[in-house]
Amino acid sequence: MNLKLALRNVFRNRRRTLFSLLVIGVGVTLLSFVLGFVAEALRSTERSLALELGALQVGDARVLEGRASGLEALISPSDLDKVVGLVRTVEGSRISPQLNFAGLIGNEKGSTLLLARGVVPEDCMADYVCMLVAGRPLAEREAREVVLGERLAGKLNLRPGDTVNVAAGTVNGTLNASTVTVVGTLRLSNAQLEERFALVPLGFAQRLVRTTGVERVLIWIEDLAEAPQVRTQLEQRLKDAGLSFSVRTWQDLSPFFESIGTFWRAFSGLTSLAIFVLVFFSVLEVLTISFLERTREVATVRALGVPWSRVFGNFVLEGMAVGFLGGLAGVMGGIFLGLVFNALGLTFVPPGGTMPQPIRVAVGLQTLVVPFLLALLATAASSVYPGWKNARLNVAEALRAV
Amino acid sequence: MNGQGFCYARGDPVLQAQKVSKIYALGKEKVKALDEVDFLSTQGDFVVINGPSGSGKTTLLNLLALIDRPSQGEVLFEGKPTSKLSERDLAFLRRQRIGLVFQTFNLIPVLTAAENVEYPLLLLNLSRQEREQRVRSLLEEVGLDGLGRRRPDELSGGQRQRVAIARALVTQPRVVLADEPTANLDSTTGKQIMGLLQNLNGEHCVTFVVVTHDPAVPPYAQRVLDIRDGKIQGERYVADRPA
Ligand SMILES: Nc1ncnc2c1ncn2[C@@H]1O[C@H](COP(=O)(O)OP(=O)(O)OP(=O)(O)O)[C@@H](O)[C@H]1O
Ligand SMILES: [Mg+2]
Repeated sequence: MNLKLALRNVFRNRRRTLFSLLVIGVGVTLLSFVLGFVAEALRSTERSLALELGALQVGDARVLEGRASGLEALISPSDLDKVVGLVRTVEGSRISPQLNFAGLIGNEKGSTLLLARGVVPEDCMADYVCMLVAGRPLAEREAREVVLGERLAGKLNLRPGDTVNVAAGTVNGTLNASTVTVVGTLRLSNAQLEERFALVPLGFAQRLVRTTGVERVLIWIEDLAEAPQVRTQLEQRLKDAGLSFSVRTWQDLSPFFESIGTFWRAFSGLTSLAIFVLVFFSVLEVLTISFLERTREVATVRALGVPWSRVFGNFVLEGMAVGFLGGLAGVMGGIFLGLVFNALGLTFVPPGGTMPQPIRVAVGLQTLVVPFLLALLATAASSVYPGWKNARLNVAEALRAV
Repeated sequence: MNGQGFCYARGDPVLQAQKVSKIYALGKEKVKALDEVDFLSTQGDFVVINGPSGSGKTTLLNLLALIDRPSQGEVLFEGKPTSKLSERDLAFLRRQRIGLVFQTFNLIPVLTAAENVEYPLLLLNLSRQEREQRVRSLLEEVGLDGLGRRRPDELSGGQRQRVAIARALVTQPRVVLADEPTANLDSTTGKQIMGLLQNLNGEHCVTFVVVTHDPAVPPYAQRVLDIRDGKIQGERYVADRPA
C-alpha cells in the first residue's frame, strides 16, 4: 500500500509531475548520450592505437622507450625465432616483426624525409588495407614496393605505378639506396606523420639497411584488457629463456592515452554532477511544494499514530518513484537518441587528423545504468529535506491550520 | 468486543485529565486555553464536551488524544500517566488504542474509501485476510456497503464522515475522540452521524468523546460537559436520548 500511495501521490498533480519527469528524463537522456559518446571515443582511440601499435611489443628496452634508434639494438633472426616461439604460447595472439628506418625519398624533382616501416605484408597488411586510398597493399616480403602516405605522395607528385628512389643509412653507417615502385597510398590518423610515412616489405627494408634482424615484434591479442597480464607473463618467459628483451603494452607505448582517458573521465564526471544538480534542484522545488500541500494529510496520519519515520520513508519513496519513472523515460530516450544519432552516420575530421572519423555513441547497459541510478539517487536526495520537514511537523498545530 | 453489545469493562477509566492547563504564547502575550481542567471518561462512556468557539474544546481534545502535551497537569490513559512517555510511545498508543474523527473528515484523497479504512491497520501486523474482513464489516456497519471503491471526492460529506468513523473504529480502539464531527454537515446528516456514533457506542463498548458547539449533538450523549473560557462549567446526564 505504501508504494501504491506513493505512486498515486506522484500522479496527483499531473502538470507538476510531468515537469519533474521531463527534467529527469531529459537529464538521463543527455547523460547517457554523453557517456555513450565518451565510451565510444575511448574505445575507438583504443582500437586505432592497438591496431597501430599492437597490444604488446617486444624489443630492446631502449628502442621501445625511444631512447635509441632501432638500428642500434636489433633482434637477431635466432632471437626472433625464440621470441616468436614464446609468443605463440599466448592464446589467440597474432605476431608480426617490424623494422623502422629513417631516410630520404625522392626523384630528380626533389626529395624529402622518410620514416619507413618495414612490415610483413601477409602478417599485417590487412590492418592497413582500410587506410589505403589508392592502389593496392604490399604484396610480398621481398618486393621493391612502397605504400606512401597520401600527403607524402602528394608532395612528391607520385601515383601508384610511379617509381621513386629511397635512401637510408645502413647498420654499418654507410648509405644505401634503391628504386621502388609505388603501389598504393594510405591515410594515417596523424597528418604530420603521413607527410613522411611509407610502408615497405620487411625483406626489402632489411636489405636496404643491410641487416637480417628486426627492430621489434608486435603482438595483437583478442582482449586488449589482458595486455598487462600478458606482459608480465611474457617478461617472465623471456627471462627464463635468457633473452634480455623488454615487453611494453600499447598503453605503455602511448602515454597520452592515459591523459585522454583522464580527460574523458573528468568530462563524464562533471556532466554527471551537473545533471545530478539539475535534477536535484528541480525535483527539490517540485517536491517541496507538493509535500507542503499535504500538511493536513500528514498531520492526520501522524495523529492516527503513524510514526514520523514512516511518513518520511513514504516521502522518499515518492521521490524515488518520480526518479524511477523519469529515469526509465530517460533510458528509453537515451536508447532512442543514440540509435537515431548513430543512424545519421555523422563523421568529423579530428584536429591534426586526416581521415573523417565516424562519430558514434555507445548505447548499452554501461551508458544507461549510471544515469538511471543517478536519477534515482538525486530524487531520493531531493526528497530528504522536504520529507523530513513535513514528516516532523507539529501535529496539533498542523491540524488546526485550515 | 466486536458487536456483542455487551461491555465487560464498563466503568474502567479510559481517559483522564488531572488539572490540565494549556498556555499558548502569542508573541509576548500568553493565552490560557485551558485552566486546570479535570476530566474522566470510562469504558463505554459517551461524553460530549460542549462550548462556544474559542472555549478550548479542540485544545482539550488534542491533549486527550495524546496529540499534544499539557503545559501543566497530567493526562492519564487507562489509568497510567502519559507525560513521561516518548513521542514513539504516544504514537503507539494512538494507533493501537485511540480512534480519531475530524471536523473536515481528513481522508486521504488518493485512497479509496476501503483503503482509507484499512490504512491504520497497516501498522498493526494483521493478515491481509483479517484486514479485509474488518474493513468490510465496518463499511457495512457505517452504511457504506458497496461504496468501498469510491474515492473521497466521489462521496457526500455524510458518507465521508462515515468512512472516517469506520477508520477510527477499525483498530478496535478503547476510545474514539471526535472534534466537531457534524460541523461540516447539514443538520439532518449531522443527526444521522450522531445516531450512528450512538449505535456504535452501544455495539462496540468503545468510549466516545465528542467536542462540539452544535446544539443538536448533546442529546446523543450520556453525559454533557460544558466548557467556557478553558474551564469546565458543569456536567449533566442526558435523560432522553434520541432512539
Ligand atoms: N497555537 C495557538 N497559539 C495561540 N493561541 C491558540 C493556539 N491554539 C488555540 N489558541 C487559542 O486557544 C483558545 C482555545 O482554542 P481552541 O481551538 O481549543 O478552541 P475551540 O473551542 O476548539 O474553538 P472552535 O470552536 O473555534 O474550534 C482560543 O482562544 C484560541 O485562540
Ligand atoms: Mg476547535
